[in-house]
Amino acid sequence: MANIIETRDLTKSYGRNRGIQAVTFAVTEGEVFGFLGPNGAGKTTTMRVLMGLLHADAGSATIGGLDVWAQRTAVKRLVGYLPGELALDPNLTGAQILAYLGNLRGGVDPAFVKQLCDRLGLDTSKRFREYSRGNKQKVGLVQAFMHRPRLLILDEPTSGLDPLNQQEFYALVGEVRADGRTVFLSSHVLPEVEHTCDRVGIIRAGQLVAVNQISALRDLKHHEVVITFPATAQPAWFSDVANASDVARNSDDHSIHLTVQGDLTSVIQIAAQHGATNIEAREPSLEEVFLRYYANDGQAAQKTEEASHVVH
Amino acid sequence: MWFTSVYLKTLRDFRIAILGWGAGIGLLIYAVLIAVPSLVTTAQARAYLIETAVLFKWIAEPIQVATPGGYATWKYGFTILVMALWPLLVASRMLRGEEERGTLDVLLAVPRGRARVALEKVAAMWTALLAMGLIIGLLAFAGGASVHANFGLGGGLIFGLNLALICGVFGSIALLIAQFTRERSVAAGMTGGLLLLCIVLDMLHRVFPSTEWLSRLSPIYYYNLSKPLIPSYGVNPGALLVLVALNVGLSGAALGLFVRRDVGDVVALPGWLRLPERAPQPARALPVNAWSLRSVYTRGLATVALPTLWWTVGIAGFAGWMVVIAKQTENILPGLIAGSPLLKGIFTKVGGGAATTNATLLSFLFVLMPLVLMAFAVTQASRWASDEENGRQELVLATPQTRLTVVLARFGAVATATVLIGVVTLAATALATAITGLKLDGGHLAAATLSIIPLGLLIAALGYLLAGWLRTAVDTGLLSFLLVLWFFITFVGPELNWPAGVLRLSALYYYGTPLLNGLPVGDTLAVLVVAAAALALAAARFVRKDIAR
Repeated sequence: MANIIETRDLTKSYGRNRGIQAVTFAVTEGEVFGFLGPNGAGKTTTMRVLMGLLHADAGSATIGGLDVWAQRTAVKRLVGYLPGELALDPNLTGAQILAYLGNLRGGVDPAFVKQLCDRLGLDTSKRFREYSRGNKQKVGLVQAFMHRPRLLILDEPTSGLDPLNQQEFYALVGEVRADGRTVFLSSHVLPEVEHTCDRVGIIRAGQLVAVNQISALRDLKHHEVVITFPATAQPAWFSDVANASDVARNSDDHSIHLTVQGDLTSVIQIAAQHGATNIEAREPSLEEVFLRYYANDGQAAQKTEEASHVVH
Repeated sequence: MWFTSVYLKTLRDFRIAILGWGAGIGLLIYAVLIAVPSLVTTAQARAYLIETAVLFKWIAEPIQVATPGGYATWKYGFTILVMALWPLLVASRMLRGEEERGTLDVLLAVPRGRARVALEKVAAMWTALLAMGLIIGLLAFAGGASVHANFGLGGGLIFGLNLALICGVFGSIALLIAQFTRERSVAAGMTGGLLLLCIVLDMLHRVFPSTEWLSRLSPIYYYNLSKPLIPSYGVNPGALLVLVALNVGLSGAALGLFVRRDVGDVVALPGWLRLPERAPQPARALPVNAWSLRSVYTRGLATVALPTLWWTVGIAGFAGWMVVIAKQTENILPGLIAGSPLLKGIFTKVGGGAATTNATLLSFLFVLMPLVLMAFAVTQASRWASDEENGRQELVLATPQTRLTVVLARFGAVATATVLIGVVTLAATALATAITGLKLDGGHLAAATLSIIPLGLLIAALGYLLAGWLRTAVDTGLLSFLLVLWFFITFVGPELNWPAGVLRLSALYYYGTPLLNGLPVGDTLAVLVVAAAALALAAARFVRKDIAR
């Protein structure tokens, strides 16, 4: 499949410690791509550059082969966009907002709009200022989906939605994917990303630190291993295992705790040589992987470096 | 220290306004006071000045106008009330504006009573007004002292206090109205309308006999009962107390209502005052054919429609009122002009000629009309800037509309409104002349009313241009400053014999005197060219800029 989004060394800075630096990634047509990062990491900046709302200082970005700045009007024909902070005319009703934005797009299928509103339980007769936060978000979602765009760019799409509507949103995303269309979404909710995305990009302090399949990202994670022996265990047994770290004997003297990056074969072999009676290996959640990248200490840099090979 | 209480934090927010408004108005009074001796160098000039003041008594009661204090009190009788715009905007933003933005929820989540939080904010506004009054009073005293005026420090300070009190009344009105409206802009607009109405009500008794009872309904009437810069007239303590009582009563009522109502909600009006409520409508087909939702231009028109209606009523009504004033002075004007070189001089420079017709006076008064239209344009340029700042452009620009289309369509809506105001003003003045029987050249009247349009477009285009770089508050502040500057260049400059080069710096200069001399085609075209250039630059900037959040 062709790439629908391509960025190369995309850079945008405004103010100290803000913006993005040399962000390079590609999103393949038909996939759901998750964009993860803490507050201020650069997710929204990247999305706004892709939408032609911000002009990149350096680098390039294309959507459907079109330059996001020079050909932004054509780009917007392909895209449905949900901004992170939704601001609309407070005096218009939901129906008026959807009709207005639909008209600006050259017309939308009213039956499909109604279907979307029904699925999300949106009452379109209220004025925007009367909506709750969740209902405002629903207006934003409906307007993003209503013209069946080839690409959806959604900034924190489930923010403010109740669990039932979140499920409905996941279903909508699934239908878009099944349709061969693409979704590029940002989120803080990791189970959501695990649940909906094919691939994920992790951005930190304006720099992309990892891009890969959700499953591959899990492979990147470490295993927390506890091995129990019949007699006193010696951490030195594992000193030659290249992918093992943080080896320590537990207080019971009979078990050892260690962290293993990647393949467990070597560790299992050594454990067997010393008559291990039990091995427990816990697979960390994506959240733990995520937190590891964002841990704001010296270790994070090391992990970032480890991850860098995954980007390319 | 500034963050230890709501009062101090709010006062801190006002520090630039205190200095800006205080020093701005204070320096204006200072400049006027020190210029007065040059206006009355001879006994004849003094006599003419007194005659002129009588002619313009609708501005303010002319008392000892040949003295610095008397002249300043008369000449800036209602102009100085421009300072009331500050508390009006601040008070409507204070509670209602914070509720709109959702910031009041956070503030009310701290363990402090709602009444105390609101009272501290209002107290900060009063403190700021008193501080402005103090600066104005000190500068008035300094101006008076430099020309040996007959009022002292006490007079200057009470002048500032009186001004602070009347401004506080309009702030309190805005605060009260905001308890009944869902949007701060509605409260500000209604209070602005009331301010204009109160100014006109106060003028009534100086123009029409036996209407003092009507003027008493206006708080400005009580403001004018004290003239501290005229020692022989002095201060009316009762009037000052009325203003204090209005401040306390109106603010107290507003705070009482605020404490009792839901945050974010409004106080329910009695049934007979309520607009019929829209019955809840079931979800139905999208209103895709509604005219106002078809394009950015039609949406812009719908957005600007209500303010345009009110501004049209105001501007056209003002023009009609000026026609009535001109008709009223028709009989005494030729005599005054003939015997008053000073008046003749002012009319020559501002009104456009020494002609002793009522058209001369009307021409003089009509110079205010483009100024008011430009004030309308400032509000619309401000709306354009705030829409971007509040993120309301984000989704419009996410549709396949070019940025050029968006900016030109929005400007087009403002331009349409501006043209409409000009045309309705023409109709209103034509009607007023027909009713009063005032004889005016039809072509010149059309030129005088329609040629305000290019000036409105000019300021709107400049506002759009500045919005390309500046935040809304700065954009609006700069445009307002420009208007005030142009106003004083045009109205004070000729009186002080400023050189033509300085007078040309005001856009109002290029309005000319169309009522007397017809349309100044060259100047009008020049204004249009500058407006078009500003719009082109604004569009070019908008097409290239990062969209703000």
